[in-house]
Amino acid sequence: MSAADVQIMRCSIVEDEVQMTTSELCHATNTEAEYVIAWVYEGILSPSGSSPDDWRFSGNSLLRAKKALTLSRDLGINTPGVALALDLLDELSKLKI
Amino acid sequence: MEFKDYYKALGIAASSTEDEIKTSYRKLARKYHPDVSKEPHAEERFKEIGEAYAVLKDPEKRAAYDQLGSQAKQGQDFTPPPNWDAGFEFSGSGFDPNSTSGQSDFFEALFGQNARNRQNQAFNAKGQDHHAKVAIELNDAYHGCKKSISLKMPTQDSQNRVVMKERKLDVTIPIGIHAGQHLRLHGQGSPGLGNGPAGDLYLEIIFKPNTLYSIDDRDIYMNLPITPWEAALGATVNIPAPNGSVELKIPSGSKSNQKLRLKGRGIPGKTPGDFYAVITIVVPPAETEKAKEAYRAMAKNFDFDPRSNMRRSS
Repeated sequence: MSAADVQIMRCSIVEDEVQMTTSELCHATNTEAEYVIAWVYEGILSPSGSSPDDWRFSGNSLLRAKKALTLSRDLGINTPGVALALDLLDELSKLKI
Repeated sequence: MEFKDYYKALGIAASSTEDEIKTSYRKLARKYHPDVSKEPHAEERFKEIGEAYAVLKDPEKRAAYDQLGSQAKQGQDFTPPPNWDAGFEFSGSGFDPNSTSGQSDFFEALFGQNARNRQNQAFNAKGQDHHAKVAIELNDAYHGCKKSISLKMPTQDSQNRVVMKERKLDVTIPIGIHAGQHLRLHGQGSPGLGNGPAGDLYLEIIFKPNTLYSIDDRDIYMNLPITPWEAALGATVNIPAPNGSVELKIPSGSKSNQKLRLKGRGIPGKTPGDFYAVITIVVPPAETEKAKEAYRAMAKNFDFDPRSNMRRSS
């Protein structure tokens, strides 16, 4: 294992500055498109645009898609279950404040 | 390196059936899933469970493990601090529990580094995107900071072998970023295949635990204990807001759970968040004769019944 030189990075805040296409979101979360499409039709993600080819996802979709992915993968929850779990988690975090 | 008792991790006997293993894994996974759990060290436990399940659900791996297990003992316990995985990088690959996270050295020694790196890329030329978490102080969101992070990530060496390489990156944390947001570092993921571009690196921001404040998006909440006379008569108190202390005017007649808002004093941004002091009225104990006398005087002077609603409804 070797340490490469320190690099100074320029970066962008995804939530504020980035919009993603369906394939970019799939790539970023390592998910297959069929899952992302199912999540959109379930209302878990709400992109602008009318069809998967011209959907644009706001940066907030990244965290939501990551959570959807881990919930369905790790706990074996189906799509409506993931939607319910995410809604309940949102509610829970509001209550905690 | 320590021997890991995967049966113990899942709380099952070595003679368990495949169904029992699965049931136990699902139960524990729900309990410790980082998105759901409030247990301390949930994330670490979750990784342990995932690793144990990845081995025990696979008959071949389980057999290999059992053979090894007959000669070894569980290693000493250790307790990593919260957010111990901050700065550790992993690449998920679709719906595969193997890819949940970095596996332990123990796992890698047994099943090889590549076990965690199953690529499910077809002819896709762009390199894989990677994810890591970075823990920052709340203060850093107000002022920005430079953060040195070191990440372990699989890279190909000159002979196309996959080796773990440590990389150090200096990242500028911009003012106004908050927990749950991501920084995208263009081209810092896995190298592309063929002539394809490299993947990106996503850094998820988390805040280090803080006892004073709770944080909701850009809004900051702080519990503010005050005395009954401060609540009744009003007062000016000095409070530690995240961006330095401020004098806060408590209006007379304040009640518990009332929120005093300092507009724009939350996390900065195009629309900055607000800072809320949430009032808790703390009643002083009546420990001395003088204090008791004061309470008796209050009882005499107030015509006050906090249970009047209860009477009316009964």
